Amino acid sequence: MLCFLRVDVVDIRVDSKGLACPMPVIKLKKALTQNPEPERVFLLALTDEGGLKDIPAFCQQQKLEWVLLQETPFIEFKVWRI
Amino acid sequence: MSESSSEQLSIIHTKGTLDWAYPVFILASTAAAMDKKVELFFTFYGLNCLLKDTSGLKVSPLGNPGMVMKSPVGPDWLKKVDWNKALPGLVWTLPGAAKLATWGFKKQMLLEGQVPVEELRALCLELGVSMTACQMTIDLMGYQQSDFIESISFSGAATYFANTPKTQSLFI
Repeated sequence: MLCFLRVDVVDIRVDSKGLACPMPVIKLKKALTQNPEPERVFLLALTDEGGLKDIPAFCQQQKLEWVLLQETPFIEFKVWRI
Repeated sequence: MSESSSEQLSIIHTKGTLDWAYPVFILASTAAAMDKKVELFFTFYGLNCLLKDTSGLKVSPLGNPGMVMKSPVGPDWLKKVDWNKALPGLVWTLPGAAKLATWGFKKQMLLEGQVPVEELRALCLELGVSMTACQMTIDLMGYQQSDFIESISFSGAATYFANTPKTQSLFI
């Protein structure tokens, strides 16, 4: 429950709309590196459909939590540290 | 070696055209973003990818039957035509064909959301990708170390193998 409350606090917006692989992953990684605070929440926007699989794979490998918020008009993920 | 093979990526790159440069830098930047230790070794024509002047990185359908060659501009029906299949290979021997193909390829890549290859290369370095230019082929081809971008190293095959995992060497 506490976790849900935290997810709703959106801190960092990462916009990679219009960019293809590997840029959404790279931009998310950069945002994570620039914002090392554990409570930070990231809102990633992208249009690259490959991201639907790649972002969860990246999050799993990097031990991050994620939620797919929407697929249209653009794809949006919420990502945060466990 | 403290890191296991799964935490490393190494690629030996020997090709000197733009279409071969992209996959290397895409794979390398992604792997680096996933905290893998990435070692790229550029040898023979692959050295083109590390030059300050990237104007030598071109693409041509000549002898490249797998290449899809579509117009990035014009009406939709025109954009659907794969010119590499529609035209005889002889066309690509004409003066200016490689220049036109390279222009079209770059334009198409940008339209598809790719970044220019120089930008991708800089991102790789920023993410900690280690790039090595083969000293032997630099000498062979008459390059100077000053022809190459900063932040790369120069050495031979033995150094590359000493720095990379025992079980994994992709050769593309």
